[in-house]
Amino acid sequence: MSVVAERPRTTGAPLAPAAAPPRRRVSPERVAAGLTLLGLLVASLLALRSVDIDPARMLQSWSNAERFLGRVGAIEFPPLGELLQLTALTLGLVICGTLLAAVLSVPVAVLAASNTTPGPAWRAAARFVTVLARAVPDVVLAMVFVLLFTLGTLPGILAIGLHSVGMISKLFADAIEQIDEGPRTAVRAAGGTRLQQFTAGVLPQVLPSWVATVLHRNDINLRGSVILGYVGVVGLGMQMSFAFKSLQYGLGLGYALVIFVLCVVMEIVSSSVRAAMLGIAPTGRGLGDRVVRRATRRRGARGQEAAAPETAGSAAGSTRASGAAVGEPTRASGAAAGEPTRASGVPSARVEAALRRPWDRARRRSVTWGWAAVAVVVASVLVCDIAWSDLLTVWGGVPAVAVQFWPPSFGSYEASTMIAAMGETISIALAATLLTVGGSLLVGSLAARNVAPSPGVRSGMRLLLVGIRGVPEVILAIVLIVVTGLGTQAGTLALALGGVGLLGKLIADSFEEVAPGPERALTATGASRTQVYASATLPQGTRALIGHTFYMLDTNLRAATLLGIVGAGGVGYYLLNASQGSNYATVTAIVLMILVTVLAVEGLAIWMRRVFR
Amino acid sequence: MTPHADTAARAASGPASAAAPGPSSAPGDTVVALEGITKRFGETVALDDASLTVARGEVVVLLGLSGSGKSTLLRHVDGLERPTSGTVRVLGREVTRLSGRALRELRSEVGFIFQQFELVPSLTVLENVLTGSLATVRGPRLGLWSYGRAAKVEALARLERVGLLDRAYQRADTLSGGQQQRVAIARALMQRPQVLLADEPVASLDPESSDQVMALIREIAADEGLTVICSLHQVDLALSWADRIVGLRHGQVVLDTETEGLSKAQVMEIYGRVATSTDQFEAIELELSAGGAGGAESGAGAAAGPAGAAPVAGDAVR
Repeated sequence: MSVVAERPRTTGAPLAPAAAPPRRRVSPERVAAGLTLLGLLVASLLALRSVDIDPARMLQSWSNAERFLGRVGAIEFPPLGELLQLTALTLGLVICGTLLAAVLSVPVAVLAASNTTPGPAWRAAARFVTVLARAVPDVVLAMVFVLLFTLGTLPGILAIGLHSVGMISKLFADAIEQIDEGPRTAVRAAGGTRLQQFTAGVLPQVLPSWVATVLHRNDINLRGSVILGYVGVVGLGMQMSFAFKSLQYGLGLGYALVIFVLCVVMEIVSSSVRAAMLGIAPTGRGLGDRVVRRATRRRGARGQEAAAPETAGSAAGSTRASGAAVGEPTRASGAAAGEPTRASGVPSARVEAALRRPWDRARRRSVTWGWAAVAVVVASVLVCDIAWSDLLTVWGGVPAVAVQFWPPSFGSYEASTMIAAMGETISIALAATLLTVGGSLLVGSLAARNVAPSPGVRSGMRLLLVGIRGVPEVILAIVLIVVTGLGTQAGTLALALGGVGLLGKLIADSFEEVAPGPERALTATGASRTQVYASATLPQGTRALIGHTFYMLDTNLRAATLLGIVGAGGVGYYLLNASQGSNYATVTAIVLMILVTVLAVEGLAIWMRRVFR
Repeated sequence: MTPHADTAARAASGPASAAAPGPSSAPGDTVVALEGITKRFGETVALDDASLTVARGEVVVLLGLSGSGKSTLLRHVDGLERPTSGTVRVLGREVTRLSGRALRELRSEVGFIFQQFELVPSLTVLENVLTGSLATVRGPRLGLWSYGRAAKVEALARLERVGLLDRAYQRADTLSGGQQQRVAIARALMQRPQVLLADEPVASLDPESSDQVMALIREIAADEGLTVICSLHQVDLALSWADRIVGLRHGQVVLDTETEGLSKAQVMEIYGRVATSTDQFEAIELELSAGGAGGAESGAGAAAGPAGAAPVAGDAVR
């Protein structure tokens, strides 16, 4: 009885803390970052108004679409032979460009990684190259190279190659910095040189991630090749741009469809290569990864069974061929113990037999993939029919071209026009990011296992995300332009829609990775599903959300500068005009504007990530 | 340190091929000599005026809790660390003065076995063993085809020696911990070393694998006439395994004794000096001195209580 009386809750007196808790101190940097975030949000809202997205007009444009579809008639395709040839050319060009970047990225990454760089100055220089390569759009590079080489595939290969160095070497350098230093120390302790430490201790560890990055970049480059066609790089993209310019919408959409299918097929292929060659489980976010995962799930169980006990067949005389790990090693080779192991003598029969590597599963697989890779590379180079001599003769033309590009000037345009155009590009990026974040929060949350009300909803949302990701943004923009007409609206919607595919997936993954403890604790207190989401899941995922959002803004800004080239608003339109009108000084001026903006956003993103870490 | 008669005898009785690899290899001469080594990492002092001399063919165990400076000392022998002050002489060469090619040559004559094996997981077992021969070949190597036939034959023979020939073409990360450590031993042997350093070689292994690996190291050392310096934190393992025990505490050498003919009381004292924290040590010392009047036997018995917990304490700190 007395126990009950002692319980404070029964007294009815409200619980109050004895003293006010100490106020949490917020660093000025965090305040500044918070204000910046708020500023960006306001700017995005204003941008959303300025890009003219309103539902009424969208409904109106729907009737446009109907009219348009009537005008297009049937989707047409070029003759099959021509189509195949163009497809091979596009693929070959993209693969050659990616390969060039892959090769160039190795020295850059080694210099840029903190644990392999010869000195801080080298590292700074390499990092600068990385950032610069990423900031200069491949379209701009292509414009310059088209001017230098006029014909052939070299402009496209060089543009893709030089631009891709940025991303590949950045990710490669990150991978090098994350290696386990142990094997490298072991090589060092065995007396290996710096170069040997790298090839024997570092390279084998990072090779899989390097290959994966290169394959991933190849997918991106294939999507990007569409836009390169608009500035004169041969291939499917160029034919498509011709078709649209000559108002053959049916044919243009036919090309767009072919490119779309090609992108999907390529993703499936690169995903299965990653899975098969590297033994990396396809956990990626792309459509390809999904298909491969489905296809290999059934085979997986059987494969593991077969792979495990395979030992060197010719050494099967051994008593331990069963492969049981327990082994009684020390006496096992009793005969060999007294034998000189100093390799001066004749090798034993077992050693002799073991010299021949058995054709086991692993070896068959790696040899097959190795030769397949060689075949693809050779075929790509052959298909491209590269005019190697151009690489030597081109240097004579460089001074003349360089003079045209420098000094930068806006030429016939008013500076205010160009700044307004750049502002429009930034508006598109901001508005698209805002729409993307809104859409992704909804779709991404519902696609997260721990948020979705049912597994069915989750798979539905995941499938939706994958479907969106499959469509190249440029194609999306082109189709939207055809439907809604030229302008910022099409660009914004294309970026926003494409962004949902990526950001939604990232958000879903981050939410699934949050610690489950707090969610369970809240569920145990009787909180509803939405309460758990708002009080446990969302707060834990916020940090990742901010990081991903800035990544999105960064990507959108780069994409927005280019969408103008296909007529989706912003500074890209002037870029294309200037290049086609041979006003190269204006091209330089616009590129410098883009560079400054992209670098500013990147710096902002780095700062934000640091502050909200 | 005087030459150890037992070790010398064992080295001499080993196979003839193993006994005479170099010109200055008469059994019993000094192979490793550290004099007054102090090593600071910023504020922390990892080694504090530590000295150690090891004769050819000796098997020495460094004993101490984690953080007592065992690893740092071993890394000095291989020239992986440079002392803040003091000199390191290994195989007649002053390590602190070596650089470039000469340093790599010395390293190739000193094998190093790591606690975490440090194999490249994605490479085959054979390739991992072959990396031990990098110092004798020139230039970078990647892939089996880049090593010569002779090197491959030798590597396979080393694998046969450690009982893993049938695993030669498997990926290193498909092996168990004990097997991986045996591959690491084969890799060290591939260097044709004169000195073998082992940094907690069994700390990541289960007891059964531990015994196998330790027995293998001991056996190979005897066969090839290797000088072994091995760090451990288990007193019992060290006692059953070493010719000589060197205890480290806070970077200082607090104990240097041969294991043969140790009395129980002395063993207890070793536990007290190296394997327990300071207050435990003082308690044991008190009991030892109190029990000393009643004879060594009873003193040891009295100390058995607190000392029995000692190895456990050592494990807990790890």
